[in-house]
Amino acid sequence: MIKRIIVVTLVLFLVTMFGISKSLAASAEENYKWYCSQCHGLKGDGKGINATPDQPVNPKNHTDAKEMAKLSTSDVENVIRDGGAATSKSTMMPPWGKSMTDAEIKELVPYLSKLCNCKFK
Amino acid sequence: MKDFLLALICSMAITLIIAVNHSAAGQAEGKGIYDSKKCGDCHLTAGPNTDKTFAWLKNPKPIRQMEYNSIEKKNSGNHSKLSDKEAGDVTAYLMTLKSKDVAEGVIIDGKPNIQGKLVFEKKQCCYGCHSYPKSGKVSGGLSAPSLVDAGKRLQGDWIYAYLKNPKSLIPVKRMPTYAGILNDNDMKNVAQYVTTFK
Ligand code: HEC
Ligand code: HEC
Ligand code: HEC
Repeated sequence: MIKRIIVVTLVLFLVTMFGISKSLAASAEENYKWYCSQCHGLKGDGKGINATPDQPVNPKNHTDAKEMAKLSTSDVENVIRDGGAATSKSTMMPPWGKSMTDAEIKELVPYLSKLCNCKFK
Repeated sequence: MKDFLLALICSMAITLIIAVNHSAAGQAEGKGIYDSKKCGDCHLTAGPNTDKTFAWLKNPKPIRQMEYNSIEKKNSGNHSKLSDKEAGDVTAYLMTLKSKDVAEGVIIDGKPNIQGKLVFEKKQCCYGCHSYPKSGKVSGGLSAPSLVDAGKRLQGDWIYAYLKNPKSLIPVKRMPTYAGILNDNDMKNVAQYVTTFK
């Protein structure tokens, strides 16, 4: 019984710690892999598991320098925070403003810039 | 160590919560089975629903295409399967559990909801990650649990609570937090719409 209580407490503790560290200290790469890769792919090529043939739009290919360079830094921040509607794109791109902090969203911009090997306007 | 990690990962996840309070025969046996089969190693609390849960426990068809919290590994569909008697007892036990985070009687399950459909398909694209029945065909993404027969499995009140305060039910997840993005009516409407999937 005591052993169980210890295990349960430990699990709860770790879960809490994981939760805290996830919300405070996740790096741009971790956030990208966790939230974005399900659609944009682990490499950012737009081929995540949600890019099924029956979806009406394809997730943007984040490695396409020509396409990505058309965006400005504030476009990128706005579309991550408020979803596709912010840049008149499909709402299949979801809003992440309540899932990540402003700082985390801003930190994704240089990460995306690295993926496309391009600069935003 | 591997089992421990698994327990850790799973306990963050599948919060099984029941909104109905009701007593039935087999509860005590159900609790016994729940404890002896170590369901609690993976589940935070116990599982959504009523007779719906019973059917699933007897025949646990994968809900997620992918393994829990993975976008790389396929769900091997190896969830423990219970006999009729065990599933009945466990369901009776699960139905005695309540969550303070789930208000009861807010959503009428199974009632058509056009505004909810608009939220699901236009205002937000819930199908970006969830598969669902669209004009008789399964359509949508694969990273999230399938909602194809959500009406047989989930309660509207639970879905609404999950949209309103997601972290209280599933602490870590890949789904965007919609509280503060969708208004209260949108959340109620879309929760009701999801319960029409059968
Ligand atoms: C549910 C799938 C999905 C997820 C998850 C997702 N996206 Fe998208 N994203 C899309 C789709 C689809 C488009 C293309 C929209 C269009 O072209 O109309 C897009 C477009 C974009 C664009 C280009 C916008 C433009 O104006 O061209 C950026 C930048 C972007 N996503 C970043 C991200 C980031 C960063 C994340 C993670 C925080 C993310 N996305 C998560 C589906 C998704
Ligand atoms: C090894 C971890 C693990 C154990 C042990 C476990 N489960 Fe599960 N359970 C899961 C996962 C993961 C899912 C999600 C399955 C899916 O998505 O296909 C799940 C799903 C469920 C569901 C369906 C939830 C829904 O959303 O409809 C119920 C009910 C359930 N489990 C009850 C039980 C019971 C009762 C036991 C004990 C007999 C048990 N589980 C043991 C991991 C576990
Ligand atoms: C970016 C992907 C994504 C989008 C978009 C999304 N979800 Fe989810 N959803 C998930 C994931 C992943 C889970 C599983 C959470 C977990 O158990 O860890 C989930 C879980 C759920 C569940 C619980 C399912 C179950 O069986 O436990 C419901 C209900 C739900 N989502 C409804 C919605 C609704 C309604 C919308 C649109 C307003 C939506 N989702 C948009 C990814 C998404």
